[in-house]
This record gives sequence, C-alpha cells and structure tokens, in this order.
Amino acid sequence: MKDQVIEILENLTGSDEVGKDLDVNLFESGLLDSMGTVQLLLELQSQCGIDVPVSEFERSEWDTPNKIIAKVENMQ
Amino acid sequence: MKKNIIEKIDEYAATDPSRVAYEYLGKANTYQELKEYSDALAAYIDSMGLAEKTPIIVYGGQTFEMVAAFLGVVKAGHAYIPVDTNSPGERLTIINQIAKPAACIAVEELPLAMPGLPLIDPTELESIFGKHVQGTSKEKWIAGDDTFYIIFTSGTTGVPKGVQISHDNLVSFLDWMQNDFGISNRQSFLSQPPYSFDLSVMDLYPALTRGGRLVALPKSVTDNFKELFAELPKLALNVWVSTPSFMDICLLEPSFNEQNYPSLSHFLFCGEELTHKTAATLNTRFPHAHVFNTYGPTETTVAVSQVEITKQVLDDYKRLPIGIAKTDTSIRVVDDQLQDVQKGQDGEIIISGPSVSKGYLNNAEKTKQAFVKLHGQTAYRTGDLGQLDSAGQLLYKGRIDFQIKLHGFRIELEEVDHHLDQVSLISQATTVPKYGKDHKVNQLIAYVAAKKNDFKSNFELTKAIKEELKNLMMPYMMPQRFVYLDALPLTPNGKVDRKRLIKEVNG
Repeated sequence: MKDQVIEILENLTGSDEVGKDLDVNLFESGLLDSMGTVQLLLELQSQCGIDVPVSEFERSEWDTPNKIIAKVENMQ
Repeated sequence: MKKNIIEKIDEYAATDPSRVAYEYLGKANTYQELKEYSDALAAYIDSMGLAEKTPIIVYGGQTFEMVAAFLGVVKAGHAYIPVDTNSPGERLTIINQIAKPAACIAVEELPLAMPGLPLIDPTELESIFGKHVQGTSKEKWIAGDDTFYIIFTSGTTGVPKGVQISHDNLVSFLDWMQNDFGISNRQSFLSQPPYSFDLSVMDLYPALTRGGRLVALPKSVTDNFKELFAELPKLALNVWVSTPSFMDICLLEPSFNEQNYPSLSHFLFCGEELTHKTAATLNTRFPHAHVFNTYGPTETTVAVSQVEITKQVLDDYKRLPIGIAKTDTSIRVVDDQLQDVQKGQDGEIIISGPSVSKGYLNNAEKTKQAFVKLHGQTAYRTGDLGQLDSAGQLLYKGRIDFQIKLHGFRIELEEVDHHLDQVSLISQATTVPKYGKDHKVNQLIAYVAAKKNDFKSNFELTKAIKEELKNLMMPYMMPQRFVYLDALPLTPNGKVDRKRLIKEVNG
C-alpha cells in the first residue's frame, strides 16, 4: 500500500522527491496544489478503493507522504 | 449605463448607506464605508501631485480594502494595476518595469522593496481610510476613454502584456451583464478569482453597480477543502462566478446541490473551456438554476459571448458552444487575409466593438500585431480558432498556434491530444510537432504519461496504444513517436506546457 501511494504521488507531482523524503510538505514545497489534490483523491478512490469525503479533507492532515500513507492504511 | 461607473456605485451610499457591499469571512463592510474609504484615498492621491492619468499598482488579496483602493485610484483620475498577494515577487518587479507606474498602494506588505516608487504602505493606508474627508470632484474621475484598469497577462512565454481597459470598455461589458443574463439587482456574488485575473471583474462591478453584495472566498479557504465546505453553505450566494476547474472541486462534494444551496440561481463560467461533463453534472445538481458559458479574451473586457447551457444544448452539443456575441459587438471568423469564412468552416475569431481595448501599455509593437483595422473598426485578433455553426453559435476549436500542417494535412494538436486522452492506457498526453530544416513539420511526437500497465517494454505499450488510436482518429493524425514521462510539465496555471516541449524538441 505504501508503495502504491508513493507511486500515485510520484505520478501526480512528476517528482521522485516524494519517495525519497516521506516527510516533505507537499503544499509548501509546491509539489501539490488544489487541482493536484483533487486528482489525488480521485486516484486514491480508483486505485486503492479509498473514499475520502472532500468536506472532511483537512489539508494539514494530508500534507506529507507519510501522513497520506497513514490515512490510507487507517481507512482500509 | 448612462452614468459614470463611480457615480453609480456611490449612489448606494446615499440611498442605502448601511447596505452591505463586501463580506469577508463574516466581516461586513457597507456602501457608506466604500464611499468614505475611496473618497479619503482619492483625496490623498490627489495631494501627491502625480502626473495625470498615470497608472498606480494596487497590491493585495481579496479584501474590502483592496476594492476601496481600486475605487480611490479611479476617483483620483488614475488607472489601477491589480497585483494579487499570491503572485511571485518577480511579477511586481517586471510589472513595475513595463508599466512605469506613478505609485504603489500596498494593501498588504510588499514581498520586496520597490526603490524609487512612491509607496502607500498598509499602516499609512489604514490611517488614510480612517479619515473623513471630502472626495475629489467628478471632473477628476476616470471617465470615457480614460483607462480604468490594467490587467497583465500571465506571460508564461516572453514578457507579460498590460491590457488597458477604459471606463467605456467596462460600461459596454456591464450593460451586457445587466441585460443578457437575467440577473436581478441586489444579488450576492461569489468573489473567488483573484483580482489580478480579469474573471474577477465579472463579479466585482456587476455587483457594485447594482447594489449587490460581494462575498469573498480567498485562496487560503479554497485550498483547504474542509474549510471551503464549512464556509460555502454560510455564504447565501445568488450568483456564482468561477472557472470550471473550481466548480469541479465543488462538485466532488455530493451535498453541493440545489436543496442545500437554494438561493444559488446563476452560474457564470469563463477563463477556460467548460466541459460537457461539468455542465451536465451541475445541471443535475441544480436543475432550476441558469448555467452560462461565456467566452472572451482580457483584451475585449472579460467576455463578449454567452450561451445558457440548457438540457437542449447538452443534448445538441458534445463539445459545448461558447455562445453568441453581445449586441454591441461583432464576432467574425476569418481566414489569414481577414476575410470571413463560411459557416461551418474553421477560422480565427476576431472581435470588434466598444469593449475592445485600446491596446497594451507601453508596447506598440504587440498592440499593432494584435489590434487591426477591420471594416473601419478596431478589431482584436484573438489567436483562437473558431467556427460559426448553422444555429449561429460560436464554437471554440483551440489555439491557432497549435494548428500545424503535416504532409498537407491541417492538424489541430489539441484534437490529437483529445484522442490520446481517450485511450484506456493513457492518463495524460500532449502532442508536439518536430520541424525539419525546411520549417515544415515532419513528425508528430506524443508525450505520454501512461497508466500503470504490465507491458514488458515501451515498444509493446506503444503498439497497444496505436491499436486503440486507429479506431479514434484519422491515420494522418497518428503521432510517429511516443515518448513516456512520469508526468507532463505544467505551466504556472496548471495547464500542460506544450510550448516548453516544443522548444525542447526543436531546440
């Protein structure tokens, strides 16, 4: 699951940084923006079967690869 | 509109002073305050002794003070140049170089110093706004052909261009907004696009000249979806103005529908293509609302054509039309000799009428290229490819820059992209022409971000993609080479950066 999330992030950001530094802040570093976040939610839904209600998407809880991996593992 | 725009807005301060003009996350400001703030700033600017009609940069975010500063500047007889706080610092520097402004008003702290430029900083501005002084006399105000605002284009390639929009350009736009969309007076408008993007003019002045209420939704809120969906239901909006992309975010939330947002009656889109899918989903969620697609470059004042996307339009068109011209404006579709092409034929969209800009600030060369004389009128060459259909609707067909000829066939790169996007193995793709020594295209290269797959080699993958493409496109459109990337490069606006790839390929 971890690898899958990293792969999704690598594809979205076009950078392998997300696999090297799992604590990189995706938003502050400019790797992800609002439209990228929308894509992330759609990919998590189609590839991992995770349904994140967008109205509960608190950005600070999803701002690093590690946090996203933990979220996804929790929701499975 | 027979009156001056400023006069029209100020009227509400006299007839209904406590009426709310602006709301920012629960903080409300009235028409009375709007008049007092802008009068005080205008009087101050007037006392600075700046050269007449020179532009003034106004730097800030989506706040009441920002709007009051715009009005203060035009009341003092100057044009304003809005620069948003989320812009990179270099943008201020380059705009300063090109526009040679007379002063800068920092509604928020500047990210860098601008040596030699008279500055009103946030503290000073606050104290100016706090004074009750007589405003400037009407003779001072921006009117007629005077430039009201200057909006700089994004300038992803080359230097940005400052589009000068006059008071009367804006009047033409506002008359159309009042007459052709069925929007009543005193409505609440969503103010989501930043003020440096001319889509914001679609909420700003239509609201303020008709006693409406602007409801700001700044980037800090829209970026955090939880906050966005906590705020949205509180706003009691009537008129929605945004890009289709922002609507796509909102449609992710199933509760974004008519039942939960009963006051929302109008949706206005501009700035990028409104897809059939987005419009169809929106019509299902809000079956009684009016959804409008509009089109227009910044150079012709926000937008010049509109069409209401009804059930019928969704049934009739797979790719949505961009509408018909406003009554005072002529939109033609012409060939490279500027002669009208027939209905059903592709050509360049060219626009003439009272909302066409006088040109780019301090850039005679680019102005001459884009603004031409057509049938005795100034016309703006959009560089957009369009077509008029038998119903008189204008159809958008992509950019002229991305139209090429390969072996005599005319090919729209965007059309090839469209086919590539339909291939099941492709997540994103763009097409790039490779030029030979004779300046003719000799090869089409597809840059592809592929979906996860089990093919042993790129060669196998390409074979499978081509097999699917054969059923989708004309053989002459088939790219000769496929290059695989993890992700395609994007422009600062989040669009695929085809120009960069073109440069790389032909470098």
